[in-house]
Amino acid sequence: MQLLANSILIQLFDQNVILLGIWETIYMTVLSTAIAYLFGLPLGIVLIITEKDGLHPIPWLNKTLGFVVNAFRSFPFIILMVAFLPISKALIGTRSGNGAMIIMLIIAATPYVARMVESSLKEVDKGVVEAARSMGASNFQIICKVYLPEAKPSLIVGAVISTITVLGYSAMAGEIGGGGLGKIAITYGYQRFHDDVIWVCVAFTAVIVELIQEGGMLLARKLDHRVRQNSKKSKNKKSICKEKIS
Amino acid sequence: MIQLIHLDKTYPAAAGDVVALEDINLTIEDGAIYGIIGLSGAGKSTLVRCINLLEKPTAGQVLVDGEDLTKVKTKRLYEVRRNIGMIFQGFNLLEQRTVEANVRFPLELAKFKKDAAKARVAQLLELVGLSEKAKAYPSQLSGGQKQRVAIARALALSPKYLLCDEATSALDPNTTTAILELLKEINKKLGVTIIVITHEMRVVDSICTDVAVIDQSHIVESGKVADVFAFPQSEIAKQLIIPELIRTVKSAGGNKLRLVFNGEEADTPVVSGLAIECGIAVNILYADTKNIDGKTYGHMVITLPEDEGQAAQVKEYLEKNNVTYKEEI
Ligand SMILES: Nc1ncnc2c1ncn2[C@@H]1O[C@H](COP(=O)(O)OP(=O)(O)OP(=O)(O)O)[C@@H](O)[C@H]1O
Ligand SMILES: [Mg+2]
Repeated sequence: MQLLANSILIQLFDQNVILLGIWETIYMTVLSTAIAYLFGLPLGIVLIITEKDGLHPIPWLNKTLGFVVNAFRSFPFIILMVAFLPISKALIGTRSGNGAMIIMLIIAATPYVARMVESSLKEVDKGVVEAARSMGASNFQIICKVYLPEAKPSLIVGAVISTITVLGYSAMAGEIGGGGLGKIAITYGYQRFHDDVIWVCVAFTAVIVELIQEGGMLLARKLDHRVRQNSKKSKNKKSICKEKIS
Repeated sequence: MIQLIHLDKTYPAAAGDVVALEDINLTIEDGAIYGIIGLSGAGKSTLVRCINLLEKPTAGQVLVDGEDLTKVKTKRLYEVRRNIGMIFQGFNLLEQRTVEANVRFPLELAKFKKDAAKARVAQLLELVGLSEKAKAYPSQLSGGQKQRVAIARALALSPKYLLCDEATSALDPNTTTAILELLKEINKKLGVTIIVITHEMRVVDSICTDVAVIDQSHIVESGKVADVFAFPQSEIAKQLIIPELIRTVKSAGGNKLRLVFNGEEADTPVVSGLAIECGIAVNILYADTKNIDGKTYGHMVITLPEDEGQAAQVKEYLEKNNVTYKEEI
């Protein structure tokens, strides 16, 4: 049994199944997140500017959008997926495979992204927006030159969280014939009782998550000028010195 | 000239409307440093935000150089706002932009050419004394420095007016003085008309030419600083302008006289003069006077002698020496 299990894992590696799985997971995740941002970012901006104290309050629109976004977010992904597969059929002519999976991921991620963007933009100081208004900035200028740049670090953090969430969803790809590490774990590991395959998939997924997380956070920190960079650097230096001394 | 005519502002709220401003009438002449003073919640911020239409008045007119801003189109309003700079208590700098990029911000909005903007930014940083901090980020600056950046930014488009909403309230006394000096210099050198919102007496005292006192959504009095300060009419103005005087005097009995010094009196020490010339000794209940260039400014409260003849003598002496006095405090 042990020997057989090992050989299956080795086979999976040898035939580049694992490598392909990693690649499929990454590209499904990144592509769907990116497209989700294409829709979610404007949606988040609309949510911010149409709210009660926003730049251009439109209460009915804000409430309607908010309701739709919440409705989508309250479905577990697996239900959403089953419910919306017909859309995939209508759009790309199939209910299965990576293409269908990506469409499902986009549908699930867009409302999530919209809320992420909304909460990042909400962090922008109202006073700064007011200052821009006092200088005669148009609403469009305020979005492009105040909201987005000022919220940049927070938006990046949001993108990291969104990407990781989508990565989690993508593990369910196997259910509808999509590829990726999730599928490998289910078909080879779970259904054929090879725990080691499951653990290898989990390990690779964890590594991918970690890379996205660390890379994204590093970028966010690098781009954030709110922190006192001088004092932070000198603090680091000091603590390093202390360590050396001790 | 800025004129507010029958201005009202009401905020609708579920628990009943909040009246923030009611029938405000105010004229701010060009070249003035106009102080608007009042307690917290009086409506100061709302008033100043109505001037550049950040807040849309419920009723009334806002005339800036004769143009009623409540009636202009959005596009035109953007243009007008470029002629009215504004600074805030919280500075409101763009945290992700350097000092120079902050000052450049309004120039970008107005689509200045790169070179022109660069030259203008350098000029402005020079004006506020922050040329060395051009590449720093707001988080690396002190409060006073941040406000200087905000001032440079507000002046970038060479506005005719500058609105200051509690611009020094977050600063320590020394920094406050420095910022007030800068504002004064801007008024003098650049001819910018400045509107200063504050709850601090000393701000009005040290830079303003005119003042309006606002209380519970109404302007209760207004005029030249010297006049309003010498003879505050309303209870609230007295509390703001001469709080300790009012407190001291209320606790003391007897007939009292308030003397007001505004630098035009004969240069004689009044109290000792009274003693020497009239042989009348008066009690000083309160004195807050200062000497500037040999002239005396401020208030003093003395007790009047019980004897009516002596009391009349005191008043006569004061009149002779050009000291203004008031019987009811
Ligand atoms: N956006 C708003 N919605 C509802 N009520 C408001 C709003 N802004 C101000 N008010 C109310 O209007 C009144 C005047 O507020 P304002 O901010 O003008 O006072 P202020 O004189 O500037 O006070 P402070 O010195 O504390 O800044 C207050 O009663 C306040 O609660
Ligand atoms: Mg205020």
